[in-house]
Amino acid sequence: MEDLPDHASWNQWFDRYGPRLLLCARQWTRSLADAEDVVQEAFVRFWKHQRGLGGEPLALLLTSVRRAAFDRARGESRRTAREEQVAGDELEGGAFFEPLLEGNDRRAEIETALRCLPFEQREVLVLKIWGELTFEEIARQLDIPANTAASRYRYALASLRKELTAPVP
Amino acid sequence: MNDDFSNLEAELKRMRPCAPSSELQTRLAAALDRPAAPTAQPVSTYRSAFSWRSWKWTLWPAAVAAAVVLALVITRRPDPVPPITDQTTHPVSGTAAEPLTTTTPVADLYKPVSAENVLYDSRDEGLVTLDDGTAAHRVFQCYLDTYTWRNPRTDASLSWTVPRDEVRIVPVRAY
Repeated sequence: MEDLPDHASWNQWFDRYGPRLLLCARQWTRSLADAEDVVQEAFVRFWKHQRGLGGEPLALLLTSVRRAAFDRARGESRRTAREEQVAGDELEGGAFFEPLLEGNDRRAEIETALRCLPFEQREVLVLKIWGELTFEEIARQLDIPANTAASRYRYALASLRKELTAPVP
Repeated sequence: MNDDFSNLEAELKRMRPCAPSSELQTRLAAALDRPAAPTAQPVSTYRSAFSWRSWKWTLWPAAVAAAVVLALVITRRPDPVPPITDQTTHPVSGTAAEPLTTTTPVADLYKPVSAENVLYDSRDEGLVTLDDGTAAHRVFQCYLDTYTWRNPRTDASLSWTVPRDEVRIVPVRAY
């Protein structure tokens, strides 16, 4: 991933990473409002305390976003595991993606298929495709073996392909 | 990845996630452009260990003692250990066997790989009134931040853990 220069403003960073952070946050929260709250908390923390650490900023930001989502769930006294909650609930809120040039039918089809994936598979798929993390980074993030992350990713793609019709050329 | 999925992966990568709302941008601006001013949204305020109100003052005597012991150990060491370096010897034809040495600081090889923030205590300190008259909760939270660096060449890792306090001002929302 191409790093932004050190003197870049937070707006430039947020323009680049904000949409992807929000999409990932929505996998770990129950509503769009919750997702925006955790993105805000993580981004402010990153900008104030972690920006100078170097390395991959998106990986650090995603760690912070996931942690903030967990803290939020714990703060709301939800006793069951977060994955089970999110998996059991219908994800609330608006569209995941911007409209496509070729029409919104295809976008809606992909979103519906994505939302129907098991939580563990959807989480890995989103981190890989839009979070641009490697399997090793996903494994560290989720505390699972890298092979498990790769397997979940393949299962997710297989399920999506099964659900989606071929795009119109 | 499996070639069978390459078309699907390419199609997914073309999908652009929705941008965050303008309200979130406004809240970020309030938190980052004017960090000192109280706002109606969660704002992190770091209580420095140098603050008289910080409980971390209790750690300073231990830190000073550790520094003194370290200084004594260093000054009394008979043979100072040279800095750890990668040494590469290049023979030069036609000259005596005098090695040329290039030095690479080992510390440069460490790269940050994770930054974790664990919330281990949170308490509501009651209602406060902001400058604009709105009511908000003052929430005191204690975190344990752990930063990890890894040397990809040797797979050695270095972790740094430090406590951090935050006071967050969370507006009272009416539903």
